[in-house]
Amino acid sequence: MSNNILSVNSLTKSFGGLEAVNVENFQINSNEITSLIGPNGAGKTTFFDLITRFQDADSGSIFFKNKNVSKTNSYMLARLGMVRTFQLTRVFDRMTVYENMQFAGSSIKNEGFLNSLFNKTSLRKDEGNLIEKIDDTLKMLNLYEMRNAYARELSGGQKKLLELGRSLMKDPEILLLDEPLAGVNPKLADNILEIITNLNAKGINILMVEHNINAVMKISDRVVVMAEGKIISDGKPDFVRSDKKVIEAYLGSSDE
Amino acid sequence: MNKYITASLLLLGCIAYIFLSNDTGSARVFVNLITFAGVYGLAAIGINVHFGWTGLLNFGHAAFMGIGAYTTVLLIPHSLGREGVIISTGLPLPIAIIFGLIASALLGLLLGLPTLRLRGDYLAIVTIAAAEIFRLLVRDFENLTGGVYGIIQFSDSLQVYRPNFVDVISTKYDVSSAQLWVAILTWISIVLVIIILSRLQKSPWGRALRAVREDEDAVRALGKNAVWLKLQSFMLGAAIGGLSGIFLVFNYGTVQASTFVPVLTFYIWAALILGGVGSLGGPALGAIIFWVIIAGTDSISRLLFESPDGQQLAGVRFVIVGLLIMLFMIFRPSGILGKKEELLLDVK
Amino acid sequence: MIEQLGNGLLLGVIIALGSVALSLLYGVTRIVNFAHGEIIALGAVMTLFFSSSPDSSLLFFDRYSPIGINFFGSIVISIILCGIFGASLEIFLFRPLRKNNFGNIAVLVVTIGLSIFLRHIYLLFASAKPSSFILELQRREDYFGIQLTPRNVQVLVLGFIVMILVGLFLTYTKTGKAMRAVRDSSDLASVTGINSDYIILVTWIFSSMLAGFTGIIQGVINNVRWNMGFLILLLIFAGTVLGGIGTSFGAMFGGFVIGVLVQLSVGLEFMDGHTEAKNALALGLMILILLIRPQGIFGTKDRIS
Ligand SMILES: Nc1ncnc2c1ncn2[C@@H]1O[C@H](COP(=O)(O)OP(=O)(O)OP(=O)(O)O)[C@@H](O)[C@H]1O
Ligand SMILES: [Mg+2]
Repeated sequence: MSNNILSVNSLTKSFGGLEAVNVENFQINSNEITSLIGPNGAGKTTFFDLITRFQDADSGSIFFKNKNVSKTNSYMLARLGMVRTFQLTRVFDRMTVYENMQFAGSSIKNEGFLNSLFNKTSLRKDEGNLIEKIDDTLKMLNLYEMRNAYARELSGGQKKLLELGRSLMKDPEILLLDEPLAGVNPKLADNILEIITNLNAKGINILMVEHNINAVMKISDRVVVMAEGKIISDGKPDFVRSDKKVIEAYLGSSDE
Repeated sequence: MNKYITASLLLLGCIAYIFLSNDTGSARVFVNLITFAGVYGLAAIGINVHFGWTGLLNFGHAAFMGIGAYTTVLLIPHSLGREGVIISTGLPLPIAIIFGLIASALLGLLLGLPTLRLRGDYLAIVTIAAAEIFRLLVRDFENLTGGVYGIIQFSDSLQVYRPNFVDVISTKYDVSSAQLWVAILTWISIVLVIIILSRLQKSPWGRALRAVREDEDAVRALGKNAVWLKLQSFMLGAAIGGLSGIFLVFNYGTVQASTFVPVLTFYIWAALILGGVGSLGGPALGAIIFWVIIAGTDSISRLLFESPDGQQLAGVRFVIVGLLIMLFMIFRPSGILGKKEELLLDVK
Repeated sequence: MIEQLGNGLLLGVIIALGSVALSLLYGVTRIVNFAHGEIIALGAVMTLFFSSSPDSSLLFFDRYSPIGINFFGSIVISIILCGIFGASLEIFLFRPLRKNNFGNIAVLVVTIGLSIFLRHIYLLFASAKPSSFILELQRREDYFGIQLTPRNVQVLVLGFIVMILVGLFLTYTKTGKAMRAVRDSSDLASVTGINSDYIILVTWIFSSMLAGFTGIIQGVINNVRWNMGFLILLLIFAGTVLGGIGTSFGAMFGGFVIGVLVQLSVGLEFMDGHTEAKNALALGLMILILLIRPQGIFGTKDRIS
């Protein structure tokens, strides 16, 4: 029990007659890069939404760090250390790259109305302390030059990076990335993969949804395959690559 | 910088217009105009906190203004209703005002709780409904509010504080000293509120509100409580509205059911959109221009109708108000002073 | 209380019709149309203009006499004009906004401006005084214990027939099905094989004609006023929210319930002497529903957040 940071039991979600997610049992082991793959419409994003509590599950339970979080608010979960990104990138368009990062990094206490109004020295100190961390992260992501641009002026790939950078400001224990490589050129994709591997080396658990199979096979410790809401295969990349059920699922769908 | 030049030119033009279009009593007209512009500007600043900062649609500002005003006036000495029941005891005005602001903020909380969890347009519907409920209740519960007969004789609580120089100026220029005093206080409040807001805007709190305006889900994913942030913004804007409502009734010297009708809100929206959504000084500037335009529309009425009656004057005014809201929202959503980079076009 | 039932049924039909029209437009275009009330009023004001006798004391824009044609002809022309008006709004206003990626909130503010603009055009056009269509006065009679004039009964029956027709149209015709398909998809562009511009245009026309019809029956039952649309709009919102925004059947049901409740509440004891507050009661009910079941009675959860 203690070796997994996240554990899910009989989680289900339906839309009308369509069963989008039905996961019997799923755990994330500490310190691994786990990839979640599957055809379009397999239920991967919905599964993310359920785990992060952005959507209510119809039934089932979620444990994070051995704590039952099935009813916890999404923002509380993020505070506990589970941070996600979105398939359709969500940056704060009309704020600068820098402000995007500042908002992500600033403490809840300093965002209190009265603290903000009276602008205590401790608040100014905290905000000052953020600068270095923001600069480092932006440099790592090659966004430093863009720090004063409005986020909506970034390219699609840069927005992905910004979203990742914002998440890192939270010092997450587990990072859920929904298609971090989608719409990103091969060179940038390699960059992002390297960053993800480095983050994992620093002890951040990664769960990512990704359609780029080569990338997935390259960096994952474990690959989980979803189809029609269910997990159909789960194991080391090599095992999954040769699993008949996986090949069927992909061939059966018209997309791949 | 360009826009500030535009703004100053506009202001000068407005003042010139007032003095050129009235041979007699231009000082009176001027004081009247800046009083109303101040009250509307303050109210618009409140909506700006909601809409410009946080992306919240409040179309029931009249209710926030009203509840603040009624609470304050009922807590100080006043005379009530058809029979003119005199209530000669009450709280000191500053304390009554604080209660008024709290009442407005609480109404904000009350309306915000059910709606701020939902999609943005629900808030628009609920606030507009709340303003209508407020009007109907004020009308119907005459024992408490004076109904259509309203409340009178409460102004002294404010006018006792009037310093001597106000009387000196008003005698010199032949304007109402009471109104001048309200105007001065209103504009002082505007300056104070803007100073406070500019602090907040730069603070982590203000930044968090903007993030909420941009994308609530992303805010949540970063561990911040978007609903609570919206509630705070809603309460702050409501309280600012309450303050403007208080000045409005002290300007009239009376308050009755027809003072806070729902259309008041739309006037204020027009002022806000004219001046610039999201900017700090925009709403106040917008309110001045708005009132000059309103004065100008009356000349249009005289062109259209031989001797326009009150309905026709109001009709032409509102046709223009509606047009302004549409045209500015479509062609210059950042208003005169707003930041172009922060255009509100694609708010979802 | 029971003596109010007749009035309740009438108001219920008006609000139900207004709610379907609003809800359909919302479902397909995602526009919360605050100018909906003004399209309702347009139907009534136009009918008044076409049908009143030129000899009557009515003057439009302070100087023009009414046309004075046959009442039913006027109704037909007015409804068609409402349709044309809705089409022009879509083509000249809302379509360009959509193409320029205006967000829902910006468009909502535009509809507020539009509503204020139109409403006061009517004020200038048709004056502030309430006017009635030229119809002879009728006495109320007893129908199963409910007091109604024969004309009221005709209006009720007609209203229900129109509602059934709307239901059939949405369920069985190709266009109606396409409207529902666009409405039920979360992303307009994702509906393949349907020309969404065309569907939106048809929806605007359909919704506006329905709104115009609503205004006309409101005019027949009560009277015609420049701000009649604004007064009824809030109740229509309440009905739509009660039934569930974006559901046609729900909107009809919710609208009907709100109408009946508002009138029946006049008969309640604690409402004695507070007749004006009856609308406050309906609006309060709406806020309460948002608190406990925000998706409305028939709505689904994903539409609301
Ligand atoms: N809000 C919703 N309402 C109705 N159906 C939905 C909703 N959200 C998702 N679905 C359906 O649930 C299924 C799973 O969707 P989901 O987005 O989770 O797939 P996915 O695996 O992330 O696909 P992709 O790889 O294309 O992102 C799909 O069939 C989708 O149509
Ligand atoms: Mg997905």
